[in-house]
Amino acid sequence: MRGKEKIFLLVAIAAAVGLSMASSIFNRYYLGIAVDVGINIILAVSLNLINGHTGQFSLGHAGFMAVGGYTAAKLTLVFGASVPPAMQPLLFLAAILLGGTVAAVAGLAVGIPSLRLRGDYLAIVTLGFGEIIRVIFQTSEFFGAATGLTGITKMTTLGWAWAFAAITVYVVACIVNSTYGRGFIAVHDDEIAASAMGINPTRYKVTAFVIGAFFAGIAGALYAHHKLVLKPDGFDFVKSIEIVVMVILGGMGRTAGVILAAIILTILPELLRPVAEYRMIIYSLLIIALMLTRPQGLFTFGKKGAVK
Amino acid sequence: MSVPMLELDKVTIKFGGLTAVCELDLRIGERELVGLIGPNGAGKTTAFNLITGVYQPTSGNIALCGENTVGIKPHVLSLRGISRTFQNIRLFASMSVLDNVRTAMQGNRAQRVSDALWRGRAFRESEARVEHEALELLKIFNLDRFAEADGKSLPYGDQRRLEIVRALATKPKLLLLDEPAAGMNPTEKEQLMELIRFVKDKFRIAVLLVEHDMKVVMGICERIYVLDYGRKIAEGTPEQIRCDPKVIAAYLGTEDEDDA
Repeated sequence: MRGKEKIFLLVAIAAAVGLSMASSIFNRYYLGIAVDVGINIILAVSLNLINGHTGQFSLGHAGFMAVGGYTAAKLTLVFGASVPPAMQPLLFLAAILLGGTVAAVAGLAVGIPSLRLRGDYLAIVTLGFGEIIRVIFQTSEFFGAATGLTGITKMTTLGWAWAFAAITVYVVACIVNSTYGRGFIAVHDDEIAASAMGINPTRYKVTAFVIGAFFAGIAGALYAHHKLVLKPDGFDFVKSIEIVVMVILGGMGRTAGVILAAIILTILPELLRPVAEYRMIIYSLLIIALMLTRPQGLFTFGKKGAVK
Repeated sequence: MSVPMLELDKVTIKFGGLTAVCELDLRIGERELVGLIGPNGAGKTTAFNLITGVYQPTSGNIALCGENTVGIKPHVLSLRGISRTFQNIRLFASMSVLDNVRTAMQGNRAQRVSDALWRGRAFRESEARVEHEALELLKIFNLDRFAEADGKSLPYGDQRRLEIVRALATKPKLLLLDEPAAGMNPTEKEQLMELIRFVKDKFRIAVLLVEHDMKVVMGICERIYVLDYGRKIAEGTPEQIRCDPKVIAAYLGTEDEDDA
């Protein structure tokens, strides 16, 4: 058990960076999808902390992602030209962390007032928040208004995306698998019983929101420097729903399942490209069928909360 | 008399026009086993919720070991030593038996996010200690063989016992049991009475027991308070309560009412 988790993290990061070095041998199209997979794992696993482990229904994940994406992109757009090439990765790292931090602050801002709400009400408030964020970016000249931000430098590689995916998994799994972290699951199971056992539900919920938003912001930063164009409509509530579907399909609160669901739901639409216009119909039908046959989530192996 | 473990002083709570508990005075001494009884709707569970901070009184004072507790949140009261079980069992449904107990230990651990992330030696030692203590506690109640099972998969009586174990894991000074005998058969009730006595002596705590079942209450409580329509109508030893005309009237009705 000693240090097992840290070894996992280091190996995963090393593998991501190693693969990234050798990325020139891969087809660019597949490489792009692989990066998408990494970004979606970050989004799904971080949302899983809020929706799965802590049991709060947030529909605002795309909003946090947008905050991180726009913040990071603006930073590299403004400072990109004045930073020497050798320092570019550092600039990118700073942009990612800044994007995550600003998103975390947004998470705190949404989390605190929303905590008096439960279930459906919380979902609606977070949905409203996501839309407000989108509209702010849509109307702000500074962020390119409806056209969005363009000309972002390509900085996200396989290594960046997967390394941060590994970090996200590590952070969420480690937090939940601890005496401290069992408080999240207690809040999910029964708030009244949790508070009778000395657990402060408000504090846990805010923490889940802040950590979840932080990683959503990181995913946004990676996304911005992968797609190179940021448009406000890319962060509408359909995007939030996509992430929610990954969490539900993966089995709420099951990290391994959620990772698999993120991979499958990223690749599936690509596989369906040949059927062109029927693509989204088949995708939707598959999801309906899966929900009908496996309402507890597609992948329920492994202990809840554990990643082993 | 020294400072009581728990003291309620003229505690009243109103929900709109309804006075659920009215000017309730109640004292529990150290290591005392006190019963709180009354017919349905008498305000017993409301009194529980007032003591544990779920409800705030409209007027009156509540003090734990002489310190005021009005306005303090339930989780803080839990850390100060008030623990409870619930009338309708509220175990953590997605957790194993062991995790239910471990979760209740987290309040006293002061672990932080950073500890869980870094997973250093101090963290691993604290995790091992928590697991060891939780298993020891389960062993006392003969539940350790179910440690890995889902809490919700246990038989009903064991779920009740697990809830008591979980409450004890917070290291309380005062344990509140809300109708622990509900739904139990006579044999299980006997065992429960044994268990409550045992818990009180072994953990050296005070117990406040809300219960419908007269046999259980009369059998183990040292003192009993009787509520009816939110008011205290009697208090005393089981013997005194048994003979109190007001109590008999509240439970069985008076002759006048029968005529009406």
